[in-house]
Amino acid sequence: MILGVLIALGEMWSPGSYTNVQFTWLHLAPAPGPFPNGLSLVMGTLVDPLSSLMLVVVTVVGFLVMLYSIGYMHHDHGLPRYYAELSLFLASMTGLVLANNLLEFFLFWELVGVCSYFLIGFYYEKPSAASAAKEAFLVTRVGDVLFLAGIFILFSTYSLAGPVGSGGWAANGFVFVQGSTAVPFLATAMGGHTTLLTVAGLLILGGAAGKSAQFPLHVWLPDAMEGPTTVSALIHAATMVAAGVYLLAITSVFIGFTPADQLAIVAIGGFTTFFAATMAVVHPDIKRVIAYSTISQLGYMVLAIGAGFAMVGLYHLFTHAFFKALLFLAAGSVIHAVGTQDLFKMGGLKKHMRVTAAAFAIGGLALAGIPPFAGFWSKDDVLSAVYSQLGSHPLYWPFFLLAFAAVFLTAYYIFRAWFLAFSGETTRDPTLPAAHEGPWVMQVPLVILSGFAVVAGLFVFLPGFQSLLLGGAGVAGIPPTYGTTDLLLSSVSVGLGLGGVGLAWSMWGNGRVYALAETSPVQAVRRLLLNRYYFKVGYDWIGLKGVYTISRAADFFDRFVIDGTIRGLQRMFAFASNRARALQSGFVSDYAAYVVAGLLGLFVLLLIVGPYLLGRLGGG
Amino acid sequence: MTELALTGFLGLSAGLFGIGIFGILTRRNFILLLISIEIAMNAAILNFVYFAAFPSGTSGLSGQSIAVVLIGFAATEVAVGLAIVLALNRLKGTINVARANDLKL
Repeated sequence: MILGVLIALGEMWSPGSYTNVQFTWLHLAPAPGPFPNGLSLVMGTLVDPLSSLMLVVVTVVGFLVMLYSIGYMHHDHGLPRYYAELSLFLASMTGLVLANNLLEFFLFWELVGVCSYFLIGFYYEKPSAASAAKEAFLVTRVGDVLFLAGIFILFSTYSLAGPVGSGGWAANGFVFVQGSTAVPFLATAMGGHTTLLTVAGLLILGGAAGKSAQFPLHVWLPDAMEGPTTVSALIHAATMVAAGVYLLAITSVFIGFTPADQLAIVAIGGFTTFFAATMAVVHPDIKRVIAYSTISQLGYMVLAIGAGFAMVGLYHLFTHAFFKALLFLAAGSVIHAVGTQDLFKMGGLKKHMRVTAAAFAIGGLALAGIPPFAGFWSKDDVLSAVYSQLGSHPLYWPFFLLAFAAVFLTAYYIFRAWFLAFSGETTRDPTLPAAHEGPWVMQVPLVILSGFAVVAGLFVFLPGFQSLLLGGAGVAGIPPTYGTTDLLLSSVSVGLGLGGVGLAWSMWGNGRVYALAETSPVQAVRRLLLNRYYFKVGYDWIGLKGVYTISRAADFFDRFVIDGTIRGLQRMFAFASNRARALQSGFVSDYAAYVVAGLLGLFVLLLIVGPYLLGRLGGG
Repeated sequence: MTELALTGFLGLSAGLFGIGIFGILTRRNFILLLISIEIAMNAAILNFVYFAAFPSGTSGLSGQSIAVVLIGFAATEVAVGLAIVLALNRLKGTINVARANDLKL
């Protein structure tokens, strides 16, 4: 952790510096074919503004979560396994952040994926956890396959004409190079034919959507909450799911997206932001509410990157990592105390868990974008960044508005959760154990993260942090200028946030429970949201009906056509051998007789064909 | 040596070989079986000797030397064969080869 922060500080002092250490892992000599300039695959580390920012997030949050886990997981007998997997995850995530080319990035990408699988399925005795792990692995795998296809397209396209050196990008190992964005270069080189590049960009977007749980591959993240809450805080809020966003950021900085790609990214990000927020509105599970909010906030980051502001997206990622980890750890503290995740059973916990309640409130305020908390600065940067690009494509408008509407929903659902859990006199379910604060190892990370959730947004006013952000490409609105438009945007979004908090208070504050009338037409909406727009049902249907039918057909073919042929042959041979076995009498004399008979047969044969053979050979 | 004499000698070894084969096919006693094999083998060795001497003195000593080597082979073969006889006798209490059929399924 200390090393990570030091690297980031160094980055602040020498803004925009790029340190690249690498060695060649594999080299193919130039040959006719797809790689006329040869192909190098390198492994290396690249420290630049983007990766140092991510490094801080990964190491600091990773350290705090590990500390918190000492208290949270102390009763678990799988503790060595837990720490081994968590360490493997942190190592892979650091490698991912420091990778200096897409292939190496992909290797670590897969490693964090498998760690996520291990840790979601940590309570593997629970069927729901095991199936959630499988689901997460399979859904992200869909994205991974798309991502890999995108890498293939990029590698084979860029090998022909590369912006790096004379031998082309491929010969130089596809290493990310400062200030080189390949897409405009290639678009010119290819005579304006950008279709292939657009396809590659879309495939990479698919990979990022899988990892960052963006629509339509968002289904796995809420189920991933089956893992320990610490894992949810570290992997499924702060770091691993941010890897997809990070992928989009490095792609936009080092490779570039075509305008069509950008529109697709904006659409996915903007839509996901709103879409996920709606599902969080009704959910009764404290962790899943936060999970949906993660999806929604990741949508903001994707939106900013799509609009061309990679660093703004990463800035939101940075602040989000702290306040989302804080929310998860606070939720973990609640779950640790009362042993349930159902918001409607909790209530009145504020009196018994002051630190946790305050931490959750600070996280909630940061998430809702209330100044001066962290979320306000970065979320408003995202919104104003997108606003400044509204002129470039008319289709940006609806997604901008969706993202704006999500601000209101965000404030509402997170404070609904806070009021349900902490306000009121007593718990709604009297059978719950008496709540108590966790040990100090659980409270210290909460306090530290609370501090970050308050001040991380203000970092933007530090000159060093500014130059760190400015060192990367795709920057606008840093430092925030606060002209009239910005002030107007900010006040609207803060107004929406406060409105959301107010609505939540009027419906759930002070231990109130807002009961929707059973006959209300809104019930249909509620059911739709609770069932997650029936996406999971739909995917299950595809899996069961679609894939299963194909598998049945394949099974039939395998069983009856392939196996049938093999079995038929086998029966034939068995029959023949049974007959042949009769010859093996076991008497030596019989065998000798066969030998003599064979010898005689050979003589007779030679007598008949011998003269003919001799004639053919021209011999005597 | 004349061709007529050679034909006679070849007839002799063919006869010996026939006797040997007959013995191999009909005897059940392992020792008699070995003797039959020896007879058939000596028929073959005799052939080498004949052809080494015919036409006289032209083919050097190769026929004779092969004959000597084959006699050595025959001796080793008998040694192995007799060892099997002893082992069979110890195992089964008989040297009747018809009883040595344990490997049959």
